[in-house]
Amino acid sequence: MPEISDSDSSKLPDNASKVPPQPQSQPDFDPKLMRETKPGLKRLFLTLTVLFSFLLGFPFLWKSVEIYRSPLPFREIDSLLTQLRSDTLLFPLHFHALFIGFDSDPDRIRLSILSEITKVTSQNPKCSNNYTLSVTVDFGPRCLRFPISSPHSISYQCGSITATDFVQNDDVAVDEKLESVFSGKTKEYSVVVVKGESEKAVVGKYRHAWMVVGGGWEMEIAAVKVAEVLVKVFVNGGREEGSIRNEFMPVGADGKIVLSFNLLNADPRDWVYDWDFRKIDDGLLATMIDALGPVANISVESQVLYHTPKASFSYWNQKLESHVFSNKDLPFFVNSNEWHLDTSIAAGGRSKILQFVVYVPSAKECPLLLQLPNGEISKTNGFISPMWGGVIVWNPQGCLKDSENKPTAGHRIPMQDLENMFEVFIGQFRQIFGFKSVNVYAGASGVWNLLPSERGFTVWEVDVLSRQHTCFNLHSCATTLGSLSRLVQSLPRMIIMDEIGKQVKLSLEAAKLAQSNASSGVYESSAASSRKARSLAEDSFFHPSIMSVSYYSFEHCFAVYSPFFLPVSMHIGLAALRELRRYKKEKAKYLAWKAKSNTAS
Amino acid sequence: MALLQRPFFVLLLVLTHQFMQYWIAFGSVNEEGQKQEEEFNEELLLKPLPDRKVLAHFHFQSSAPPSTSNGRHHHIFPKAISQLVQKFRVKEMELSFTQGRWNYESWGGFDPIPSSNAKPPGVELWAVFDVPQHQIDASWQNLTHTLSGLFCASINFLESTTTYSAPEWSFPPASGNLRYGTLPREAVCTENLTPWLKLLPCRDKAGIAVLLDRPSIYRGFYHSQRLHLTSTGSGSEGMVSGIILEQTLTVVLQPNSQRAGMAYASERHIQPSWSLTSIFGKQVSGTCVLAKSSNVYLLLDRGLVAELEHLHKENEKSAENGFTSQNFWTKPSFELSADPDRIFIEENSLHSKGSSVLYKFQVEKYSESEPFDLSLTWKIPVVWLSQQAPLHASRFLMGSGNERGAIAISLKSTQLSEGFMGANADDERCDLQVNVFQVVPWYVKVYFHSLQVFVNQQPKAISDIIEKIHVSPSKDKVSPGVMEMVLKLPCKVNSAALTIEFDKGFLHIDEYPPDANQGFDIPSAIISFPNFHASMIFLKDDSVNKSPLLSKFQEKSPVMSYTEALLVPLTTPDFSMPYNVITITCTVFALYFGSLLNVLRRRVAEEERFLKEKAAKKTGRLSLLLSKLSAKLRGRQWEPPSSPPASSSFINAKLVFKVILVAGLAVGWQYFFS
Repeated sequence: MPEISDSDSSKLPDNASKVPPQPQSQPDFDPKLMRETKPGLKRLFLTLTVLFSFLLGFPFLWKSVEIYRSPLPFREIDSLLTQLRSDTLLFPLHFHALFIGFDSDPDRIRLSILSEITKVTSQNPKCSNNYTLSVTVDFGPRCLRFPISSPHSISYQCGSITATDFVQNDDVAVDEKLESVFSGKTKEYSVVVVKGESEKAVVGKYRHAWMVVGGGWEMEIAAVKVAEVLVKVFVNGGREEGSIRNEFMPVGADGKIVLSFNLLNADPRDWVYDWDFRKIDDGLLATMIDALGPVANISVESQVLYHTPKASFSYWNQKLESHVFSNKDLPFFVNSNEWHLDTSIAAGGRSKILQFVVYVPSAKECPLLLQLPNGEISKTNGFISPMWGGVIVWNPQGCLKDSENKPTAGHRIPMQDLENMFEVFIGQFRQIFGFKSVNVYAGASGVWNLLPSERGFTVWEVDVLSRQHTCFNLHSCATTLGSLSRLVQSLPRMIIMDEIGKQVKLSLEAAKLAQSNASSGVYESSAASSRKARSLAEDSFFHPSIMSVSYYSFEHCFAVYSPFFLPVSMHIGLAALRELRRYKKEKAKYLAWKAKSNTAS
Repeated sequence: MALLQRPFFVLLLVLTHQFMQYWIAFGSVNEEGQKQEEEFNEELLLKPLPDRKVLAHFHFQSSAPPSTSNGRHHHIFPKAISQLVQKFRVKEMELSFTQGRWNYESWGGFDPIPSSNAKPPGVELWAVFDVPQHQIDASWQNLTHTLSGLFCASINFLESTTTYSAPEWSFPPASGNLRYGTLPREAVCTENLTPWLKLLPCRDKAGIAVLLDRPSIYRGFYHSQRLHLTSTGSGSEGMVSGIILEQTLTVVLQPNSQRAGMAYASERHIQPSWSLTSIFGKQVSGTCVLAKSSNVYLLLDRGLVAELEHLHKENEKSAENGFTSQNFWTKPSFELSADPDRIFIEENSLHSKGSSVLYKFQVEKYSESEPFDLSLTWKIPVVWLSQQAPLHASRFLMGSGNERGAIAISLKSTQLSEGFMGANADDERCDLQVNVFQVVPWYVKVYFHSLQVFVNQQPKAISDIIEKIHVSPSKDKVSPGVMEMVLKLPCKVNSAALTIEFDKGFLHIDEYPPDANQGFDIPSAIISFPNFHASMIFLKDDSVNKSPLLSKFQEKSPVMSYTEALLVPLTTPDFSMPYNVITITCTVFALYFGSLLNVLRRRVAEEERFLKEKAAKKTGRLSLLLSKLSAKLRGRQWEPPSSPPASSSFINAKLVFKVILVAGLAVGWQYFFS
């Protein structure tokens, strides 16, 4: 055998190395079955080294073809999601009940009101409130307070409100009086219960309500009513529970709303109406926009469009002497082909645009009335479409076509009509936010009169909105981040830029800040940071680099590297296998020979 | 304000009805303290072209006066445009979508229409911004994106710095804040027209725009849709500047011959008679009620009028002194279906050729029951030529191969304008000034030193001809090359040519467009003649000033023409090349690796012995023959193998096993991945 074996001489002294083994000399030596030297390890070692270095190279290769994925804080996203899902966001609220002319123990009243409140409060699955209640019984010069050290009840000057303040019939004056007494303090909702002759229950436009009760009123009944106004009106905004609309806020991700007012002349050949929109904008709308400042940044635009017929037909009603548009056709009123209302260029990409449309019908459908589902004619002659806006049909006076066949652009909608129309629009706008526009709240325990605000939204309604806005933003931020994390985890070969990671981090930080602010009762900053959190979350989700489909797929990687690795790995693997097999065979031969030589000797 | 206005409006109503013309004068005086209103005007100009075609030029103008609420509240003016102007602080902007090429030779190049409405194919956008120098590029990029969304076009490709340039002085509204970009390959169709129409108060529902029947417009030979906006200075403090939006649509159409049955030999020379219905398939059934004026004009250009006068003279033989519009109208060589409301004759007779005539028709007089359908019927054959720009410009590529080439701009004197220039020809130092503006993409690497000038086919020194030159060389993948030149050519020049050589660059594989083999476009060059003004001055009259189209005609704008867009084929790689390279390299590496490994673990002595043993055993027929053959070839004596042949079934089994292994692997692979 030509195999080189370095240990030959030392290990096998019988077969002297000087004398090479002669197969011919030994008659029973079969070269196919035996060998005299130990099989060499050199080639085996070599091939195995190559194989191992080849295998060692794989992790490096894997590392080098790895795509860049910015580490996203998946765990924190999950914890935010579960946190918002399990323990709801708590907004602290302070209630203050003031009893004038009553002779009872404030602690007892407080307990009874608290028990009523827990009865009335329904569990909102998303956001709930953490309320504290203080009760004051005013005897004129002195008063009883409970809890005694509460900053809310202590700031009330005893005797500053007397029963005589409520004798007058002017609710607005009473409201102003209450505001002057309670103002300058932290946000608290106060209910004043007064003994008097007439019975009356009013909710003011600030954060106060008062109730004048007759002499024979029991404390318990008063407590029920107080609890209801606190929970149903001040906390829930007088809205029905479980309405889907309450969960959506028509506010863009950047906290902006664009109100786009459109005057549509269905057929300008019949008549052309114009409006003096600037006056309305400066007057009616400016105050409302100002009132809604804490919730959203609102801007107003207007345009007049022509040749914009509605999409569906109305029918002639002889009795009403007008064209009637039935309720079931309302989805087809808005003609998206011809009404080029358009989005606004001035607004940023994520602002919410609400379209408000005044529709001036053409002469052949002139007194156009909208019919309610119960067959009656709508008083406002308008309707809303949630998250889109509202439509009002305005019929020109008398529906008389110009006797001259030249309808110039000289007509203007009378100011009075325009003001009425914009009151309806404000009502529609309130409705889009989920508020009713009736000035009576009928609860289970009785009826409350609601004082309307000339600003469109009362202070307590804006409070409700801003709480809801924060809550909605936080949930929306959490769900967006949750979907992002699910998407990223489901596509392991998607490139994720550093910027996305940064945005996600900032968004989480803002969400945390909003949560902590909300629980400490700082509504404005919590609304602002929740808005920021949502906007950043959307930014990261809609980042252009995520949108692109050009991620580096596994198939691509395989196609590039297989021409090299497939043949090479085949060579190396086979070589290692062969060497190993050969070594085993040769070793067996050697062992056989050794055994034989042992027996022989 | 409103109280004041409403009686005033009633007054206006009465006034407009009868004393339309006095009203403006009256109104403009009285409106000193009053708020101005937004206005809209619609106009259509029709013009027969020498090559039996008809030009229709729609002109819509909306204007918004300076006001505090521009961009927010609008009545007639499109809100989108106003917001765009406010947001990007656009001082002036022009966007055009064009399909087809304006035929300067037969459709003329001197009138206001070709010089301001003939546009290069595809999209052209330029804008002047009212922002500090460092913000201009950002504004431009945002503007392109907004316009792209607004007009459903890929204008956003103009965002990249390689596609736009900043001309210094050769582009007419020259200013430092100007940006200019073109997309020669943009296809233009209805989806661009619809948003354009949406900016009109009546869209195509009423008024002149009703004529815009899509199939007839897009069947035309040339179609250019333009949007030009100018923001006028704000009146006072706190006011937002006013905007004038000018939308024009220029189409060249071939009227269907109404007398198809006639088969005269001279039929070819007779201009086809046409009507609005035969061109557009529609007729105007009234105005857009919001339009302040709504007029249709028929323009007979200078050449045609001169020809008609000439014919008239010949036919009549009665040498009347002078031709007035009246007898021109009463003894016409053509017939109009409607009586024109006014006839304008061009005032300046600087051109010996004659002066153009404009017929005005007011659409207001027509209604749905009596629609306006202007038709023109020729009675005698007329042949004329349109007035040309002083030089006809064309541009072409020279050279072959994928490595280098040359761009040539050739300017040829048009025969027609010879006489016109002859007035100054006596003067020895008469010069013809020509401005050239050319943008070249960076991958066409122009060598500016190789610029050569030929005048009358004689090479000339550059300094003799080029008075002023401004070059900004291209930067690879950053900015295109821009060349601006002022040429001073002698008036008697017959032809002039500029050539410049270039190398074709290589692009990165990512930078090739999807259809790279089609070639790359070099945008049209702009040739302008600053000493020649394309304007038509009509008799000074209020009604002329009132019409935006006619006042546009009176503006002194330099004669401008665009050259052809060039198509440069670049070397396009085989796009599967990277994979091929990877595969080949990998295979070579694999071979190297494999053979190296084999050599390393080779046992030479053992193999030799093994082979010998094998050879001793194996004596197949074939191998016997082979060994015989090889022995013969070697010139040795053949030794017969000693041992008997072994069966080859073992080898076959191995082969079969290998085949099965490979097939199994393939099947497994398929199974695993599907």
